[in-house]
Amino acid sequence: MFLSLMGVDGHVSQGPWFASVLTLKTSAPLRAEPKKKKKVDPRREQMVRERLKKKLKKLERVPPELIPIEDFTTPAKYMDETRVRGAPQLPFEESERRALLLKEWSRYKQTQHRAEMEAVGLAVEAQREALEELRLESEELYQAALRPDPLLFPFNHQGPSYTPPKAQYEAPEGKYNNITKVYTQ
Amino acid sequence: MAAPCSRMANRPLWQFITNVRRTGLKHTGVRQISLSSACRAATQTRSKTEGVPSPWKLYGAVCLQRLPVISQERNPIEDQFAELMHQMELERSLLSDHEQRLLEDSERMTRKQADNYDSDEEEADYGGQETITAQDQEDTWEQKLKHFQPALRDRDVGGTPLGSVERCLGDSLVLLVQQTVGKETIWLLPQAQWEAGETLRQTAERGLSSLPEADFKATFLGNTPCGVYRYKFPKEVRTERCVGAKVFFFKAFLSAGSASQKEPFLWVKKTELQGYLKPPYLEKVDRFILNL
Repeated sequence: MFLSLMGVDGHVSQGPWFASVLTLKTSAPLRAEPKKKKKVDPRREQMVRERLKKKLKKLERVPPELIPIEDFTTPAKYMDETRVRGAPQLPFEESERRALLLKEWSRYKQTQHRAEMEAVGLAVEAQREALEELRLESEELYQAALRPDPLLFPFNHQGPSYTPPKAQYEAPEGKYNNITKVYTQ
Repeated sequence: MAAPCSRMANRPLWQFITNVRRTGLKHTGVRQISLSSACRAATQTRSKTEGVPSPWKLYGAVCLQRLPVISQERNPIEDQFAELMHQMELERSLLSDHEQRLLEDSERMTRKQADNYDSDEEEADYGGQETITAQDQEDTWEQKLKHFQPALRDRDVGGTPLGSVERCLGDSLVLLVQQTVGKETIWLLPQAQWEAGETLRQTAERGLSSLPEADFKATFLGNTPCGVYRYKFPKEVRTERCVGAKVFFFKAFLSAGSASQKEPFLWVKKTELQGYLKPPYLEKVDRFILNL
């Protein structure tokens, strides 16, 4: 500021305003203030930053909201009473028939299960015998047989369908809009 | 380290085998350590007899299964039960959107046909648009379904030959071939003789690939044999060195393949095996062929 007041020659230009400016330079408040200003400003900024950080930490401490499982909440529209189907009154014979059929079914399933368990038991026994015989033959082959096969898994197989696959069938192309909600934590 | 190993060694062998089969890769490390400590004692006794070659010839055979392509027919009781379940589910359910729409449409129709029908009031609600009733939609859907012709379930009515892979789509079939063993030509599971330097599984694979005029792509289920058939040669053929043969069977699933109709192949169900295999052979093979 004072350099700008000085002219090209380097001497201070005279004038009634400039004199008062020069006197300002030496007045008491101006002499003391500049140093304090340099300390307080960084301190103030630091204080502001610390307060912001504390607020952020408080917000972070809150545990993240759990993602709701949409299958477990019954949507409101199914609580509507108009949707209830009229429960038919079953005659006695019908309810008897149902009870007897259920018992018949449980018996059928039990025999099926027993047969399955037996079949699996026989297969396991057959394998055990095979390994025993192999061991009697040669230890090396036995060890080779016990090694697991890394190429077997992942094993994929298309299960049985209701109708056999059609040769040279072209499935029609379809579009769909996926409206599942994706939650991020 | 010693204590847990000895406990594992005391477990019966069959449990160990089932664990090996079931767990596969994961627990191999643990199991192998226990096995080595268990068989160290065994190998010491075996090393004395290693010098003498065993008097049994080894064969590797493959039990190739074609898994079912369609679901089986229901039993009468399964039919009844399925119907009952369907009925009970229907009774205990709420009305769906589609059904509610049907009800509303039918109500609207009855209101239209009633005497005091105010068409202006009704059409004001719907903004004068042409509504497609739910019944119409159902009809269009049924029409579309009729256009699609699925493949027939029972194609066996024509009597497909026994050698075709396409027969009995609802059951799992096993491959049988005719091979000359000794002096006779008999039906059996494809087998090949073991040669030194290969594992038995490789023998089985070789037996499958060496079948003339057929290329079957199979996935072998593991390195362990699933069954064994041991037989002694007739007395004329028996010598000091070979008393008989042991056939080790390996299971495999058919993934793709074809065969010409000329070669004698048979794809048979488990119940039909009796007609082709010899009784002692069948006894052993029947155990590991599961009809599940």
